[in-house]
Amino acid sequence: MRKLDEQREILYVIRTLDVLMSSGVGLEAAIHTIGSGGYGVISEDFSSMMKRLRKGTAGGLDRELKGLLKKAESEGYRRLLNTMYSNVTQNTDIVETLRKQGVRMENERTEAVKKYIEELGAVPETLLSIGMIGPIILAIVGLVPQLLGDGAEAIVGAIDQGMINSVVNGGLVFTLIGMMLIGMKAHTKDPGL
Amino acid sequence: MIFGLLETFNGNPLLLYLAVIGMACAAGGIPPMLERKRRRSIENALPGLLEGLSDTVGAGRGIQEAMMEQSRNVQGPLGKLLLETLEESHSSSFEAALSAFAAKTRSSQVQRVMVLIETAIEQDAPLQQILSDLAMDYERLNDLMNTREEELLGRGLLIVMFVSIGLPVLIAFIVGLFAPASSGFQIDSFNRTFSLFFGAASAVALGVSGRMLGRFRDALWWMPLWIALSMGLYLGAVVMIGG
Repeated sequence: MRKLDEQREILYVIRTLDVLMSSGVGLEAAIHTIGSGGYGVISEDFSSMMKRLRKGTAGGLDRELKGLLKKAESEGYRRLLNTMYSNVTQNTDIVETLRKQGVRMENERTEAVKKYIEELGAVPETLLSIGMIGPIILAIVGLVPQLLGDGAEAIVGAIDQGMINSVVNGGLVFTLIGMMLIGMKAHTKDPGL
Repeated sequence: MIFGLLETFNGNPLLLYLAVIGMACAAGGIPPMLERKRRRSIENALPGLLEGLSDTVGAGRGIQEAMMEQSRNVQGPLGKLLLETLEESHSSSFEAALSAFAAKTRSSQVQRVMVLIETAIEQDAPLQQILSDLAMDYERLNDLMNTREEELLGRGLLIVMFVSIGLPVLIAFIVGLFAPASSGFQIDSFNRTFSLFFGAASAVALGVSGRMLGRFRDALWWMPLWIALSMGLYLGAVVMIGG
């Protein structure tokens, strides 16, 4: 969930930092603005970082950024934190880097959405295959003892109705689990728009 | 006739409860749909507004004046809301008007843009360039969102229709034809099991479809109704075909 939240917010954070810093706002003040809310999990991270810095319990902005780097789950967020860390320790041109990162991330997002649409193309077919074939087979299995009557015993020996019911119930549960697992793709691959 | 139909499902109280709950929840599901339609119409008009603002600011006008002018030119709910807010804001500050406008739209895109514009004004940043960049950013974002909607809507509907309607009717047809209750087949327990399965499968299908389109929470409102529909279709079709 955290990764998805980060992916959803990171581009907006970069654009805001770009506007703030290109108009002369310092890095700490920009972090404070982001931390004041509106950018989900990234706002929470920046806000707690600023609190620690204000209290004096942090070892400095560079150490805090390094700490956040370990916490970050998405590549984009990690890259942004790294850029901020480089700016603090080596005084690099952060505005130019932010702009490049913004363009790159936007391209990545476009690609991710296209890929998501492509990957989900197969989901309906797979879901319908499992969701339809499973119940059809299990319905026939469930009805076999009654359909064949005494003839069934002659073919496959004594049939325990309780066992048949267990097989059908178990099969239906497995079908449902299979459908859920296929459907999970829609969640796990979400590009976070 | 309705009572006669309900009598048929007397042995399945869960279906009857779900049908009642489903109808109530469906009433709750309509407002999010209308709200979404309104919000998307505002968001789709946002890049045009930003581009217009950028041009007007570039022509040397102030942002407040540019906004007033654009609010008269932009069609739809965005222009109307902006005009309303600016007219109401004569007694307050421009910043307060921007915040009020952002809150009224209930769109995170508009809220983010307004915060950025406010910050840019505070910091005396080059507004024309910022507005133009924002217009392009949000144009691309909205294009992506619209593409996703267009491409996946059909697939989402296909899943729901097949799993919630097609599958129960198909199995009911097989069961009703080969093991009709009128011929003495004992299929009550079998029917109960399968109706529960179709209810659950219907919930999964609706959840997947909702998640594909990025509106899982909105889909939850419709879930009880679809579950009841799926279960009812199966049990009803079995009775109709098998007697």
